Amino acid sequence: MSNTTVLSARKRNERVAAYIFTIPAVVLLIAFLVVPVIYTVYYSVFQYQVMRPKDITFIGLNNYARLFGDADFYQALKNTIYFTVIVVPTQCVLALALALLVSKRFRGVSVFRTMYFSPQLTSMVVISVLWTVLYNSNPNTGLINSMLAGIGMKPINFLSNPKTAMNAIIFMSAWQGAGYQMMIFLAGLQGIPGEQYEAGSIDGANRVQQFLYITLPNLRGTIKYVIMITMIQAMKLFTQPYVMTQGGPQNATKTVVYYIYTQGFQKGNFGYACSVAAVFFVIVVAMSLIMQKLTADD
Amino acid sequence: MKKNLASLALVSAMALSLVACGGNSGSSSGGAAPASGGGNDASGDVTNLTIWQPSDKETIENWWIEKLDAWNSEHPEIQVHREAIDRSDSYAYDNKVATAVTSNDLPDILFVDGPQVSYYAANGIIVPLDSYFSADDLSDFVDSTVAECTYDGKLYAISATESSVALYYNKGYMEECGVDIAKLESYTADAPMTWSEFEALAKQCTTDKYVGAHIVMDHGEGLPYALEPMYISNGKDYLSEDGSKAQGYVNSSEAVETTAFLASLIANGYANVDPITDEFLNGACATEIQGSWDVSVLEAADFEWGVTYYPVSDKTKKPVSPCGDWAAAVTMNCGNVDAAGEFLQWLMSKENVASYAAAIAKPASRSSAYDDPLMADYKEYPLTVFVNQLENNAVPRPRTPSYATFSTDYAEAMTNIFSEAASNGTVDEAFIQTQLDNVAASFEEDYNTYYGQ
Repeated sequence: MSNTTVLSARKRNERVAAYIFTIPAVVLLIAFLVVPVIYTVYYSVFQYQVMRPKDITFIGLNNYARLFGDADFYQALKNTIYFTVIVVPTQCVLALALALLVSKRFRGVSVFRTMYFSPQLTSMVVISVLWTVLYNSNPNTGLINSMLAGIGMKPINFLSNPKTAMNAIIFMSAWQGAGYQMMIFLAGLQGIPGEQYEAGSIDGANRVQQFLYITLPNLRGTIKYVIMITMIQAMKLFTQPYVMTQGGPQNATKTVVYYIYTQGFQKGNFGYACSVAAVFFVIVVAMSLIMQKLTADD
Repeated sequence: MKKNLASLALVSAMALSLVACGGNSGSSSGGAAPASGGGNDASGDVTNLTIWQPSDKETIENWWIEKLDAWNSEHPEIQVHREAIDRSDSYAYDNKVATAVTSNDLPDILFVDGPQVSYYAANGIIVPLDSYFSADDLSDFVDSTVAECTYDGKLYAISATESSVALYYNKGYMEECGVDIAKLESYTADAPMTWSEFEALAKQCTTDKYVGAHIVMDHGEGLPYALEPMYISNGKDYLSEDGSKAQGYVNSSEAVETTAFLASLIANGYANVDPITDEFLNGACATEIQGSWDVSVLEAADFEWGVTYYPVSDKTKKPVSPCGDWAAAVTMNCGNVDAAGEFLQWLMSKENVASYAAAIAKPASRSSAYDDPLMADYKEYPLTVFVNQLENNAVPRPRTPSYATFSTDYAEAMTNIFSEAASNGTVDEAFIQTQLDNVAASFEEDYNTYYGQ
C-alpha cells in the first residue's frame, strides 16, 4: 500500500519535472515557429506593403487568387521540385558511395573523411561565390571553362544559360552536401555487426550480394532519415540562387523560398509573400506525408 | 517516422517564418507614434543618435571614428554612434531596413541609396529636412544631388558625395590592337564617343585573351544605374517624368533599340554575360563602363589606363551620365529630429564634405568642396571627366516610390535578355520587347496598387 503511494508520488514528480524541462523548448517553439506561422497566415489576407505598415488593408483571399494565376510562382514551384527530385537521389547515392569508400580501415582514411566532409564546414555563401567563379563562362577567368578550352571544347555558360543553370547548382549542392550525409551513413555502416558479413562470406555471398542483402537492409533506417533531411534542405533552397544567379536566367533557378524573399523584401509585397509562404507550407507538409507513405515500414 | 514528420513540419514552418519574422505586432502598430528610435534612448539631457550606413573601405571607417570622436567630445548633449552594416550585395542593406520598418526599429539617421529616397519618402519612412538646409545652403550642392534627394517638393535626404560612370580603357592593350589613342583622348563632355564607335572599339579589341567591353556592373542595382543614360540618350527614359508610368517608356521602341544594342555586345562576344569582379583590373577586358570609384581601385593596376566620357546614341548624340550616391536621412523613428538635423548640418559642412569625399574616393556633392586641397585630384585628369559629367549632364535615376520594384524587375529582365543573347549568339528583339513589357506591367501594377490614389 505504502509502496504504491511512494511509486505514484514519484511518478507524479517525474511527470511534473518532465513538463518543467519541456517548457523552454515549447516556449521557444511557440515564439519562433508557431506565432510566425499564425502571423504568416494572418497577413496573407491583407494588402501589406512592407514600407507602409500604417496602410494594411484587408483584401480577403485576393492574394491567393493572384497566386493561383501567377506563372512565376508555378515556375518557382516547378524549379524547387525539379531540384529536390534530382538532388535527393544524387546526393544520397554519392554520400553512400563515399561512406562505403571511407568505411574501410586503411592508413590515412581519416584524411579522406575530413576532405569529403570539409565542404560542410564552409558557409554556403562562400561556397556559392567560389563556384560562381569556377563556373564563369569566360575561359580566361573561369577555371572549369579554362579546362574545357584546354581539351578543345567550347566554353559553357553554366550559370547564364537557362538550360544549364539549375543543373550547375544541383551539381554544386550535391558536392557540398554529400559530406554530411556521408558521416551519417558512416555511423550507420559502423553499426552493422561484422558477424553478418562473416556469415555471408561463409555462405558464399560475393561483395555485391553482401552490399545488397546485408548492408542495404541494415541501413534502411539511416537511408530513410538521410532522404528525409536531404528533402527538407532541398525544398528550402535559397542561398545558391540568391548568390549565384538571382533566380535567373529566365527564372530557371527561381525557387519558392527565393520568390518569397523577392516579393516580401525586395519588392515589399509582404501580404502576397505571406500567401506564397502559406501555400508552400501546405505543399511541403503534403510532400512529407507522401514521403512517409512511400517509406513506411509495412 | 512520426519524429521525422514532426521535424519536417517544423522546418517547413521555418520557411514560413522567413517572412513572418519580419512582421510587426499587429496591423495597428504602425499607427501609433514610435516611442523611441533605434538606440535613441534619452538618459538625462543626452540625446543618443544612431546612424546606419553600409560598411566601406578602411579609410572611410577611420574617417568616421575620427569625426564622431570630435563631434561627441564637442557635443556632450548629442552623442552619435554609427553602425557600419555589411551591404553584402546590392539589396541586402535595403532588406535590413525593410525589416526594421516592420519592427519599428529604425535608427535615427539612415543612409539611403539615392533612388530609394523617393520610396522611403513616399512611405513616410524618412522625414523632410527643409528646415535644416536653406535654399542658400543647397545652392552649393550639385543639381543632381538636390534633385535626387527631393521628393514631392521637399528635401528628404542629403548627400556628401556623388558618383558618375564613364568608359575606362586599357591604354597599352589598345595600342597593341592598333586603336588610335589620340582620338580616344580627344572626346569631350559635349561630344563623347558614339555607340557605333564604342561597338567598333569593342570589336577591334576582342581577342582570345580579352573581351572588348564590360557592361554588366552587377545583377542588381548596378544595371539600372549604369545603363540608364543609354536609354535617355536614345530618346526615352525608363519612366515618365513624374515617375508614375512605365508603359511607353521602358518598353518603348527606343528602349528596345537601346537594349538590343547592349545585348548585341554580348551576343557578338564583345562583352561577358557574367563578368568576374574587377574584370578590367585583372586584364580580362579592354574597356569597361564603370563608376568613378574605380579610379582608386585601379591604383593597383599593372597597366596604363585612361577614361573617356559616357558614350552617346548615334541618333541624338545627346550626352547623359549616371549619378547618385548614398545620402543621409532622418527616420520616422528618430526621437529628436532637431538633434539629428543639427548633426547633419555639421556633417555636410564644406570641410567635412571635402574630407569625406577624399576618404571615400568619390566626387564631392558640394561645388565649394573642390577648392579644398584634399580634392585637388578632382581638378586633374582622369577625375575631371567625372566632375565634368556631374556638372553638365548627370541625370538622377527615376524618382518614384515604386523604384524598388522597377529596379528588381529591370535587373531581372536585363539578366534574362543578356543570357538569351549569350546562349543564342543573336539578339531577339521580340524577346526583349516581352521582357521589357513585363517590367512596365509589373511597375505600373505596383505603383497603382500602392500610390495610384
